[in-house]
Amino acid sequence: MSGDLATSPVGSWARPIAARVLPRLAEPLAAVMIAFVLGGLLVLLLGYNPLLVYATLLRGSLIGWPNVLATLQMMSPLLFTGLAVSLSLRAGLINVGAEGQMLIGGLCAGVVGYAVRLPAPLAAPTCLVAAMLGGALWAALPAWLRVSYSVSELVVCLMMNPIAKLLTSYLATRPLKAPGPTNKLPDISAAAGLTNFSIFAQVNTGLLIGLLLCGAFAVVNLRTRPGLEWKLMGLNARFAHYSGIQVRRRAVAIMLISGAVAGLAGAEQVLGEYHAFYDSFSPGYGFDGIAVAMLAKLNPIGVIFAAFLFGALNSGGDVLQMLTGVDKDLVRVLQFIIVLVLSARPSWRWYKAWREASRP
Amino acid sequence: MNLHALLLAAIRLSTPLLFAAMGGALTYQAGMLNIALDGFMIVAAFFGVATAAATGSLALAVIAAVVSAILLAALLATFNLRLNADIFIAGIAVTFLSYGLTGLLLKNLLGQEGVFAPPAIPRFTPIRLPLVEEIPLLGSLLSGQTILVYAAFLSVPVVAWSLYRTRWGLRVRMVGAAPDAAEAAGIRVGRIKAQTMLLSGLFCGLGGVYLSLGYLSLFAREMTGERGLIALAAIFFARGRPFRTAAAVLMFGCMSALAVELPQVTTIAPELLQLVPYLAAVAALGVIGARNVRGRDRHAAWRFEIE
Repeated sequence: MSGDLATSPVGSWARPIAARVLPRLAEPLAAVMIAFVLGGLLVLLLGYNPLLVYATLLRGSLIGWPNVLATLQMMSPLLFTGLAVSLSLRAGLINVGAEGQMLIGGLCAGVVGYAVRLPAPLAAPTCLVAAMLGGALWAALPAWLRVSYSVSELVVCLMMNPIAKLLTSYLATRPLKAPGPTNKLPDISAAAGLTNFSIFAQVNTGLLIGLLLCGAFAVVNLRTRPGLEWKLMGLNARFAHYSGIQVRRRAVAIMLISGAVAGLAGAEQVLGEYHAFYDSFSPGYGFDGIAVAMLAKLNPIGVIFAAFLFGALNSGGDVLQMLTGVDKDLVRVLQFIIVLVLSARPSWRWYKAWREASRP
Repeated sequence: MNLHALLLAAIRLSTPLLFAAMGGALTYQAGMLNIALDGFMIVAAFFGVATAAATGSLALAVIAAVVSAILLAALLATFNLRLNADIFIAGIAVTFLSYGLTGLLLKNLLGQEGVFAPPAIPRFTPIRLPLVEEIPLLGSLLSGQTILVYAAFLSVPVVAWSLYRTRWGLRVRMVGAAPDAAEAAGIRVGRIKAQTMLLSGLFCGLGGVYLSLGYLSLFAREMTGERGLIALAAIFFARGRPFRTAAAVLMFGCMSALAVELPQVTTIAPELLQLVPYLAAVAALGVIGARNVRGRDRHAAWRFEIE
């Protein structure tokens, strides 16, 4: 690659940037295309016109102001969960507990939001901090078991998800339930809510916080010492250990950070969208975060684009279901075909050669 | 509370868990953590009930269900073993793909919202065991179950026997314990792993059929309700040994039966009872991990890699 720099006849910066960014986009784009082709075949088999279905998905998510707002609303929680999963995966840890951490984060935000009455400038930040603490707490046990006893964090996270779901469900249906027919906590105080941008959709300051967080972690990853150390851990934990990195301490730190970020997704939902903690409010944003992180290739800036794509698919899916009768589970099929395709690391000769050649 | 009804419910709730747990235990012993048990089961449950409704044949339904689950297992095995995909990420993808696919097919192939409950559907006939029936208390529990229930309970000794008393089982355990040594000894590691994965599909397929055609006669969106996760919890609790895994499954099954029956009697919330399997799994993982670190290698504690 450095040879290119010296011999490049055109613009001094355009070529290197194109050469650095484009090869990285090849795999995600190929995966998305494979998913859409397979999904199209499936739709065709079910007797629908795939072109019409995809046109409806596009129209329902990106054409017209209300649809765009709905896309941004669907994108907001995915920013947090996608970032949470990608941060942990980059350090070699699989935090599949984002779903549970999000529920606990949402619960903490909801409880603090209605129980602690604070003046306006303090209320919302306090709730956000509570959500981060809740999420981090839920990630603490898997992190501790991993670094102390080498217990797979994935498996513990997998078990922590239903524990969070049942626990929050119990609290919202019994001891903390608000009076009335729905299973929810009492509404949060008005001061604790996140500001809505529009009356048409529940797009709120949470979206901005998510974008800022992604930008911040892009800088942390590339420009700070822990950022580099997490990357080294992810590449080879043993090498990282022998080169003097305190692997266990860094592992606990990134799991707690990841949990806190996932907790913020719950806060965004509770403080921004629902204004109260509702029992099982999440349709699986934590698991979608895994898909976002994979499509983003664990890059925080990539998370923004991946969350936007999946947010668009989710909001387009609602329109699709209404207009054509194709179930919006099609979106889930597309999403996880993408994950499956991206999980492959084939040892085909041309693929390895290409990876070798396009390494930045 | 009626003890008889409780035990009957426990047997029925344990049956799909047993199938899933035996399937998962096989891959666990081969060193593969199969977290797609739920995915295999939901696909089998769907194709079982869809085939039964379309053809009216129970045998065809079972075949379709098991074949669909095995195909899904083959997909996961291909990605993990041929394309070097991470088993966890591929497993999660396969699980959610199955949830999405069955939801889509439910709506756009069968034209149903949420639940598909065909009016006339063949059912498994209860098998009456002539002598066992006479036993005073146990007779009515042990006799009169469907063939899938007996198959689930019989699968435990069969899996145990094949793992610990056959050449194939020895190879499976060797692949799990020391893949490099197995490779050096001339065992085809990939092939053994693929075989356990396909068997896992077979067992989960039967579990899925039981859910949609034995326990109930319908298919509902995401009807497995994380049974695969509970089976996984049992596998961890027992470290993949068949009889102990089955014991853990039965314990969790009784717990689920209590969660169903208790609210009529006491005020304990069912959610809290449903927590028990997961809490037990986390506790078991912690205890086993701590014992590993203390017992074998004092210097293992710094080690970051998973055993």
